[in-house]
Amino acid sequence: MNLSRIIILARRVAQQLVADKRTLALIIVVPVILLTVAGVLIRVEPSGLTIAVVNQDEGLALGGQSVNLGDRLTENLQNFDLFDTKLMTTDDAKRQIENGDLDAVITLPPDFSAEVAQSRQLNLNVQFEGSNPTVAERLRNAFEQVGDQALAGLATLQAGNESDGNPSTAAIETNLQATYLNGGPEFDTLDYTASALIGVFVFLFVFILTSISFLRERLAGTLERLQATPIQPLEIIIGYMLGFLIFGLLQGVVTLLYTVFVLNIHYHGNLLNVFVIESLLVVVSVNLGIFLSTFARNEFQVLQFIPLVVVTQVFLGGVLWPIEEMPGWLQPIAYMMPLTHANTALRAIMMTGESLGGVWVQIVALVAIGVAVIGLSARTAGRVRM
Amino acid sequence: MTNPEHEPVKIEGVYKKFGNVEALRGLSLTIRRGEIFGVLGPNGAGKSTLIRSIVGLIKPDQGRVVVLGEAMPNKPILSRLGYMTQASALYDDLTVRQNVAFFAGLMGCKEDAKIQTALELVELAHRADSPIRILSGGMRQRVSLASVMAHQPEIILLDEPTVGVDPQLRAQFWAHFRRLTEQGITIIVSSHVMDEAERCDRLGFIRGGQLLAEGSADALRQQAGKSNLEDAFLWFAQQKGAVQ
Ligand SMILES: Nc1ncnc2c1ncn2[C@@H]1O[C@H](COP(=O)(O)OP(=O)(O)OP(=O)(O)O)[C@@H](O)[C@H]1O
Ligand SMILES: [Mg+2]
Repeated sequence: MNLSRIIILARRVAQQLVADKRTLALIIVVPVILLTVAGVLIRVEPSGLTIAVVNQDEGLALGGQSVNLGDRLTENLQNFDLFDTKLMTTDDAKRQIENGDLDAVITLPPDFSAEVAQSRQLNLNVQFEGSNPTVAERLRNAFEQVGDQALAGLATLQAGNESDGNPSTAAIETNLQATYLNGGPEFDTLDYTASALIGVFVFLFVFILTSISFLRERLAGTLERLQATPIQPLEIIIGYMLGFLIFGLLQGVVTLLYTVFVLNIHYHGNLLNVFVIESLLVVVSVNLGIFLSTFARNEFQVLQFIPLVVVTQVFLGGVLWPIEEMPGWLQPIAYMMPLTHANTALRAIMMTGESLGGVWVQIVALVAIGVAVIGLSARTAGRVRM
Repeated sequence: MTNPEHEPVKIEGVYKKFGNVEALRGLSLTIRRGEIFGVLGPNGAGKSTLIRSIVGLIKPDQGRVVVLGEAMPNKPILSRLGYMTQASALYDDLTVRQNVAFFAGLMGCKEDAKIQTALELVELAHRADSPIRILSGGMRQRVSLASVMAHQPEIILLDEPTVGVDPQLRAQFWAHFRRLTEQGITIIVSSHVMDEAERCDRLGFIRGGQLLAEGSADALRQQAGKSNLEDAFLWFAQQKGAVQ
């Protein structure tokens, strides 16, 4: 292993990219355009939402007057435009939300009115379907609004329950007890997608550039000339990795700044942690590019590898669909893909500010995959012809 | 006898088969220090394969190649060699200087002065900052030559180096090759241009992966009883054919 030769090779890879201004610009411009499109599409107002109310409220007799808060609330929900409100039993509601036919279920227990009077809090028990965080977010705001509406004008209730001997004039607050089938309250879909897309872009760009550069190296005969110098296959590979790392990280910074400051995604991460994951991804991507380029005889063939390698990973890597929802036989395949682990780690780092220690499983997986592909590419980088 | 000082390249019964093509069929040859050795033969004779096996890019199926006392393939020895491929192999986006500096650097030469000297030799110092992409074919060939010589190798292997180079520059190349041999540098050059063959100290006629004859141009002509090299080559080819 000779460091000087590695640096010479890395410098050449960088010089080639710098000389190719158009490619250099596309590395930055393409992700920005795609992220913008994703941002616009994901943040469109949801429509066609349906919720269910399971109303078991038995009401409450208060000062000779019967009050049923559950009925009032249901009525207000039905008057709300954002969603359709259906009344159903607990079992129906459970089945339908699991089928994805419902976006949320509000359960009002038999002692709902009594409980509000007693605790002086309107506790709404809502279950969100939650796989689309944008929808959950909108519904959540709507329910709080409806809760306040239902309470307004209920003077008897507001005035306090005389019987408990503790009269209070404080307004009753609406308090949502939300559970989520999927996801969490704070994030919207863009947070979820953008963090993964940052990984996808680095992987995609480095894979395309390496596989094509290395194919050209073979076709132009420069690989044969490299073989006629003392440089070792492993040195070639490390040189390529270093050369592309600079640009991969440059792209990472730009896409990250853009998503955080222009698209306003929630970001709690540490840039260095993001870089560690991206660097591992670059290592895997460079080596996969070198390895697969040996199976191509021209640029057209290399281009065919892009859908195979990148799009499959986007589909299976949990960027668009959660891996847990995939059929059992597909899950092991998903976990063999580097982007799966990178996405999980990037999400954890960017959305919840996880430390590297918190994503050590993903880091170990990426390193293992990296070592395996380095082994593959080192075997082929030394060969002039297959 | 086998002193690497005097015999920098020894090829011993090298046999190489690609699929069902026998590219080299038990070829033996010894190159002497400080000579220009010309490898002559028609297309497909095995000239490039022979040169590749000297550099260690091809591992012979049988026989062996010894370069500077080391059996090939041997990576460390390669920095003392300069191999110019048949088609100029350069990075199109990089400049002339970047290309030459890259290959010289891998050979362990980082002195700008040596790179500059190589560029001047091929008369491309004024184009040093042009990208290869915009150069003419002959200019690329010259960059390729500069990139194998900048690190001052002891043995230079040139696979048809003067294809596409104009006659005036070609004459300069040969004059330079001659000067290099005076410093003890050994040059192995393949060609099928007979007037270039005249400038070599010794020649090896090869055809069908076999050595037909070796010796100086004069000796080969004399042996064949012909007045020009082309006829001599055909005569040796016929002799070989008759034997088989
Ligand atoms: N990598 C390879 N795979 C298959 N066949 C090969 C390979 N390299 C060379 N050959 C075959 O070996 C034979 C000798 O080829 P070589 O390139 O050595 O010829 P050459 O003398 O250099 O010819 P030219 O003057 O055209 O350059 C040819 O028949 C060629 O097709
Ligand atoms: Mg040839």
